[in-house]
Amino acid sequence: MTELHHTHQPGAHAVHGHEPPPHRGVRRLTGPGYLRALWMTALFGALGFGIVVFFRWLGGYEPLLQWDVLSVVSFMTAAPLGFLAGLGSFDYWVYYVSGRPTRPEDHSGHGARSWHDYFRVNTDHKVIGVQYLVTVFVFFILGGLAAMLFRAELAQPDLQFVDGQAYNGLISMHAALMIFLFIIPAFAGLANFAVPLMLGATDMAFPRLNALSFCLLPIAGLMLVASFLAPGGAFASGWTAYPPLSTEAPMGQIFFNMGVQWAGASSIMTALNFLVTIITMRAPGMTFWRMPLLVWANFTTSLLVVIATPFIAASQFFVMFDRIMHTNFFTVAEGGYVLGYQHIFWFYSHPAVYIMMLPGFGIISEVIAVFSRKPVFGYRLMALSLMAILVLGFSVWAHHMFVAGMAPWLRVPMMVTSMIIAVPTGVKVFSWLATMWEGRLRFGTPMLFALGFLSMFVLGGLSGIFLASVPIDIHASDTYFVVAHIHYVLFGGSVFTIFAGIYYWFPKMTGRMYSERLGKLHFWLTFIGFNGTFFPMHYVGLRGMPRRVADYAAEFGNWNLVMTVFSFLLGVSTVVFFYNMILSWARGPVAEGNPWRALTLEWQVSSPPPVFNFDEIPQVVGGPYEYGVPGARHAVLHSAAATTEVRTEEVVR
Amino acid sequence: MVVYGVLAGTAASLVAVLIPWLPTSASEEMDRIAFTFWFTTVICIAIFAIVAAVILYCILKFRAAPDDERDGPPVHGHTGLEIAWTAVPAVLVTAISVVSAIVLAKNDDAGENPLRIGVTAQQFAWSFEYPAEEGAEPLRAGELVLPVGRKVKLTLHARDVIHSFWVPEFGQKSDAVPGIETTLVITPKRVGSYAVVCTELCGLGHATMRAPVSVVAEQDYEGFLTRLASGPGDGQQGTTGEEIFASAGCGSCHAFEPAGSDAQVGPPLDDLTGAAEGAGLELEEFLRESIVDPDERVASGFQAGVMPKTYDRTLTDEQLDALVQYLVDGG
Repeated sequence: MTELHHTHQPGAHAVHGHEPPPHRGVRRLTGPGYLRALWMTALFGALGFGIVVFFRWLGGYEPLLQWDVLSVVSFMTAAPLGFLAGLGSFDYWVYYVSGRPTRPEDHSGHGARSWHDYFRVNTDHKVIGVQYLVTVFVFFILGGLAAMLFRAELAQPDLQFVDGQAYNGLISMHAALMIFLFIIPAFAGLANFAVPLMLGATDMAFPRLNALSFCLLPIAGLMLVASFLAPGGAFASGWTAYPPLSTEAPMGQIFFNMGVQWAGASSIMTALNFLVTIITMRAPGMTFWRMPLLVWANFTTSLLVVIATPFIAASQFFVMFDRIMHTNFFTVAEGGYVLGYQHIFWFYSHPAVYIMMLPGFGIISEVIAVFSRKPVFGYRLMALSLMAILVLGFSVWAHHMFVAGMAPWLRVPMMVTSMIIAVPTGVKVFSWLATMWEGRLRFGTPMLFALGFLSMFVLGGLSGIFLASVPIDIHASDTYFVVAHIHYVLFGGSVFTIFAGIYYWFPKMTGRMYSERLGKLHFWLTFIGFNGTFFPMHYVGLRGMPRRVADYAAEFGNWNLVMTVFSFLLGVSTVVFFYNMILSWARGPVAEGNPWRALTLEWQVSSPPPVFNFDEIPQVVGGPYEYGVPGARHAVLHSAAATTEVRTEEVVR
Repeated sequence: MVVYGVLAGTAASLVAVLIPWLPTSASEEMDRIAFTFWFTTVICIAIFAIVAAVILYCILKFRAAPDDERDGPPVHGHTGLEIAWTAVPAVLVTAISVVSAIVLAKNDDAGENPLRIGVTAQQFAWSFEYPAEEGAEPLRAGELVLPVGRKVKLTLHARDVIHSFWVPEFGQKSDAVPGIETTLVITPKRVGSYAVVCTELCGLGHATMRAPVSVVAEQDYEGFLTRLASGPGDGQQGTTGEEIFASAGCGSCHAFEPAGSDAQVGPPLDDLTGAAEGAGLELEEFLRESIVDPDERVASGFQAGVMPKTYDRTLTDEQLDALVQYLVDGG
């Protein structure tokens, strides 16, 4: 995945448009592409299978076909590697190692001229961004359907539609898909599209690594979903997968252990790519203090990903090793320590909450500034508060374990840090409010979702204060109150910002406008459905309904029916969203280069942007949010064809 | 602006006051938790009211006309304001932290001489161990009976996976973790019947893993202990088949008409003659094997590895006999 330097000289990408000659005959089977991926998947899978069987035969182990080991080695490691090798992910390295001439990145894999190109391996960050988003919405649908199934089960006390195993499988699948295959990669997709453009760069630093990161994602997703086919059913010990429940669970658990590895590898590679891109590929004049807050947000998020993600990888490996290698990390009878898992798991999974939140903060800063026509209030403090959250985020993990039986003295320090993290978060909320103050607000769909985010996230943040307080948490932990809290933070927070971001950049991505009417309908259905589903959960949780139960006390029946009805409204709202997106992408009115009259660089080029983003690398001369400042400019683009000037009009009051 | 704030604050306060958010307290610890809860709620309502007021005010007052292309005033920040909204929340959360830490210390304090009761969790049942006279075997029961007004220190153990002990009206909660011992202090203050709820996902029967709790007067508690001690046999989770069925948690997973259980996690136990014939065993023999070694034969439609394999250790031979007889008679 070594990449050549991207030259910043204009005209350096004249090569674009020269497609590689199509392979013919046998070359179609041996050249990189889906055909080769197909047979290499089978070949690698068979090799993995053969190696396991051979060594088990050699060692005289019974039974010869040990399916736990076979699935890990053959189906979930070797076969996906074969798929990637078939696509050509490792061609450069193989050529380099074997001394053959390597093919430098000639940008021939850039750009999309028709929808077919979105289904090919592509190294263009804009195409990859869209590929990410489409893929994650497939998993969003699957995760959402899982939620609707178990909400249907919960509509009445007692079991009606699914049994205990299926129910536990559905909740685990819902959480795993929404976290690892929707929220985290959705932000990676949006940032993939927007960050290089906002920096004034031609692409990410490592375009081929970027393509590889994306390719890992469907593999991870398929692995998780395929666990429904495993004997014993899908992984069913929750997305937290605490041992010893997970080490003793049926085979589906392995699919979770391994799926998380692939999703994690994808996020780590993307994060490295963002870090290098942001540090080294800023346009001339784009100092750190001139970067849009979305870029700041992805910078801090990437740091979080790089530092934290290896911990969840380790935690899942430990669980898997206990099962297939008979290690004893969590086997109490052999001296294992089950709380060790929770410490390692949450050392990733709490920062993961910020991995799922900070990019959303970035999106909201963009949307609120543009739709209020005002500079972001306290820009530097906004950037610094992101960094504060990054640092503090690593010191709060054990607040998930106040009742877990960990060292009692750890509780108060972890409570204090958890409380303090509300301060930088509060700074952001108040700064957004101040940004809107005396602005000229326009309520396009992105702004509606931004306001929806702001109000819902405040509620989620406040319920977070309750959970940070140890005595209250002791009562509320592991109840529906926690379920309400995480949905206010991850749905009212993250998902609302994802929608805001998608509507905001939709014209830039597709070159077409979405329907405002449908967008607003989508917002109101989501907003009402969301509150109706999740607000009552605070109440039933505090009153005594534990989380992750298929059956519950009869007194909660009516409230659960209400939640189920509203959750189906949420399902309907999603249909409106997809209808709007698909129809507008195909037939929406053509979008201009800068429909929001925004100042950041991505809006200074055509919609969709040229294959290499900028015909000429822009010269950045000022901050990104100088709305209302007479004569202020963010950047100078001499040949910014087809777009308006970057200069803001004078303020008229 | 202030009007909106007052409106939002009033609305939020009404929601807070009119809805009975917390269960009626039955322990001194829950009283203190409720105090912390309301202390935090007041602060949070104030913050919510401010934010809601500003959002509403902005939406109503700063809406741009459709043809208004102007920008807002180029305000980049205000150091005083920024310091204020960093410092004030910091003070507020510190206050909540201090109150919480004090309450936590009080709720953790077991006092000089608490009543010590052991709690053992296993898939999917609770059992409780009461102190006996010196030299005697501890007394075990499948229900938790506590004297009112006396500090109790529970010591929690788990046999298989992680479980969590919670009685909503008591407020206190702690995981029961295999391999380590956790403790919980409860001072019941209200006579009544409650339920232990397992709040940590522990497998297929998690939702039904409950046990009865009664808070009784001191003399009733002594009476309960005497009955436990004088009961025939060694007192391990009861002696009659019916008691053992209840205390070993069979009903959490299996439907069985005489016990009134209708759970669907495991196969129903009402008519097993056919299954025994299919296995080529006498019904009694078949039942005994299925309890002690559940994975030997698994009913079609159900999975191996779900039912605990611990019953040969946790039940005495007499108890096993009684349980088998109970199932034979009832089925």
